[in-house]
Amino acid sequence: MSCSTHFAGHTIVHRLDPRPRIVATLVFAILVALSRHYPALCAGLAVGALLALLARLPAPPLAKRLLRVNGFMLVLLLLLPVTSPGDPMFTILHLPFSREGVHMATVITLKANAIVLAFTALLGTVELAALGHAFHHLRVPGKLVHLFLFTLRYLDVLHHAYLGLLRAMKARAFRPRMNLHTYRSYGSLMAMLLVRSLERAERVMDAMKCRGFKGRFLTYRHFAFHRRDAVFCLVSTLVLILFVCIEWIPGGGLP
Amino acid sequence: MSDEPLLNLHSLSFSHTDAEPVLAEVDLALRAGERIGLQGAIGSGKTTLLHLVVGLLAPDRGRIEIFGKPRREEHDFWEVRERVGLLFQDPDDQLFCPTVEEDVAFGPLNQGKSREAAHHAVHEALALVGMAGLEHRITHHLSGGEKRLVSLATLLAMHPDVLLLDEPENGLDPPSYERVQNLLLSLPQAMIIVSHNADFLRAVTHRCLCLAGGRLQNKSW
Amino acid sequence: MHITEGVAPASVAAAGALLAAGGVVAGLRAMKDEQIPRAAIMASAIFAASLLIRLPLGPSSVHPVLNGLAGLLLGWAAVPVFLVALFLQALLFQFGGITTLGLNTVVMGAPAVLCYYGFNRSLRRCGSARAAFWLGAAAGVTALLFSFLLWAGALVLSGKSLAVIVKLALVPHLAILGVEGAFTGFVSAFLFRVYPRAFEIPRTLGTGTLS
Repeated sequence: MSCSTHFAGHTIVHRLDPRPRIVATLVFAILVALSRHYPALCAGLAVGALLALLARLPAPPLAKRLLRVNGFMLVLLLLLPVTSPGDPMFTILHLPFSREGVHMATVITLKANAIVLAFTALLGTVELAALGHAFHHLRVPGKLVHLFLFTLRYLDVLHHAYLGLLRAMKARAFRPRMNLHTYRSYGSLMAMLLVRSLERAERVMDAMKCRGFKGRFLTYRHFAFHRRDAVFCLVSTLVLILFVCIEWIPGGGLP
Repeated sequence: MSDEPLLNLHSLSFSHTDAEPVLAEVDLALRAGERIGLQGAIGSGKTTLLHLVVGLLAPDRGRIEIFGKPRREEHDFWEVRERVGLLFQDPDDQLFCPTVEEDVAFGPLNQGKSREAAHHAVHEALALVGMAGLEHRITHHLSGGEKRLVSLATLLAMHPDVLLLDEPENGLDPPSYERVQNLLLSLPQAMIIVSHNADFLRAVTHRCLCLAGGRLQNKSW
Repeated sequence: MHITEGVAPASVAAAGALLAAGGVVAGLRAMKDEQIPRAAIMASAIFAASLLIRLPLGPSSVHPVLNGLAGLLLGWAAVPVFLVALFLQALLFQFGGITTLGLNTVVMGAPAVLCYYGFNRSLRRCGSARAAFWLGAAAGVTALLFSFLLWAGALVLSGKSLAVIVKLALVPHLAILGVEGAFTGFVSAFLFRVYPRAFEIPRTLGTGTLS
C-alpha cells in the first residue's frame, strides 16, 4: 500500500529521459501561463491531450485530477461572469453575464487543463526517485534533491506506521467525532509518529555514518540520452516555437 | 449465564488480494470463561483471525456472530470493539499517547465514560497489571516489558468480556513473563491467545488449536 | 488552501516564484546536513497528513495544514520542506499546480517562518505542557490565518473579481482555524513532554551551502 505512486507504464513517453521532460514541461507551462488568446490556448490544450493519450494515462485517476481542477473552474465559470464588471453578454434570471467575466473564466479553464494534462503526462509518469536524480542532473541544489529523496523514503514508512496505529485506535473503540478528544487523539497519533520517525532517523543516520556516509549519497542514477530523446527535444522545441508564433505573432504566425 | 458462545465464527474465509486464501472455512466458538490457545507458523493467519473478529478486516465469506448478534457492517463492530479487547503483537502499534495515564484512559473515554470514571478505570487497570504509580510516565520511554503490561492495562480499563491476545508473552524478560502468565490465569475474561510458545499456552489455556493451510485443527498437548 | 493551476496570471505567479526561490535558498543555507532527515520527515508528515488525517468539523472534515508546526520544528528550513511537499501534492494529486508552486510555497512557508520567530523560543523556555499547548495552538492559528491572508491577497492580485472566492472561503476558514490550533497545540504539548529536543534548531540564518 502506498500513497506515493506515479503513473507507471511502458509507453514511449515513459521511456523518454526525464531530464528533457522536466525542461519541456516547465517551458510549456510558462508559455501557456503567459498566453491570453483562444487559438494558442486551444492549441495548448490539444498538445496536453495528445501527450495524455501518448502516455496512455489511466482514465479514472486522470478524471479525478481533472475533476479536482475543474470543480474550481466551474465555480469560476459561474461566479466570474456575474461578479466582473463589463458588457453584459447575456442575462439569465435578470443576472447580467459580462463578456469580460466569461472570457476570464474560459481562459483560466483552458490554461489550467492544458498545463495539468502536459504536467501529468510528462512528469506524473516519471518514477519519483528517478525524478529526484534528474533534478540533480539539472543542477537543482544538492540539499533540495536530498530533501526530496529522503521525503520519498519516509512517506511509505510514515504511512505504514500511521495505518498501524490508527487500526489499534479503532480496535479500542475510537470513532472520530467533532470533539476535543478526537483532535487530541489525532494530535497524539501525529506526534507519536513524528517522535518515532525522528528517533529512527537518528539511528539510521548513525548506522549510515558507521558505513562511511558523510551526509551525501554519492552514487546517482545516470540517464542515457537515446535517439528518441533527441527526437523529443527537437519535436518539443518545434511545438513550443509554433505555440509562441500562434500567440505572439499577429495573424497567428501562419501565412 | 446462558451457554450461548460469546463469539461464534462460521466457515470464515479470507484472502489478501489475488493470493492463496489465508483462512478457509474456519469455525470457532468461544464460551464465557474459556481460554483458547492458537498456534501456527508465521503467516498462517492467526493475527488475521483476531482482526476479523473486531472488524478491522472483512471476511470474503462466512458469518461472524458476537454476543448473539450477526456482525457484518462497520457499525456492527462498534459495540464489539467496546467489549472485546485486542492486544496487538507490537506494543508500539498500541501505545500512542504521551503518558501512560492518557493511553489507558483512551479506551474508556471512547466508551463514553466520564472523566472521573475513566480516571478510576485507569488506576484499577494499572493496579491489576502491577503498574500502579506509573500513571505519569512517558509511554515512549517505557521498557519493552512495561509497554506490554501497559498495553494490557489499556484493554482491561475498558472492562471487556473477551480478550484477544496476540503473542502476549513474546520478548518479555523472565519476571515480566511470569507476571503476564499469572495475570492471565487470574482474569475472568474469555480469551483467545496467539503464541508460538507451547509451554506458555499449556500453562494458561484450556485447549489449543492450530492454524495450518488456512484450517483450524484441535491440538493435543 | 491551494492556489489552483492556471488561476494566477504570469506576473503574480512569477512574483511568487521569485519570493519562494529566495525563501528556499535561505532555508537550504540554514539547514545542516544532519537536519535533512528531520526536514524530510516533516515534509512527508505534511504530505501524508493532508491525505490521511480527517478531523471532523460540522458535516464535513478538514485536514491539518501543519505549517505552524513546521515553523516551530524547522525554522527557515520549513520553506524548502513546503516546496517539496507541495510539489508532491501537485504531482500526485493535482492539489495546486506547477505554475502556482512558488505562490503556494510562499503562502505556506512564510507563515511558518513567522511562527518560528514568534513562538519557538518561548516554547523552548516554557515550563509546562499546558503552556506548550497554548503556544503551539497560537502558532497553528497564526500560521493558518497568515496563510489565508496571503492566499486571499494572491487571488485578489490575480483578478479583482476573484475576491468573491475569498468571501466564500472566509467563514469555513475561520472554523478551520480552531481545529488547526487545537491540533497543533496537542502535537506541541506532546513533543514538549516526550521529545523536547524537537524544538531545538540552529538559531542563525546561517551561511551554509546549497549543495
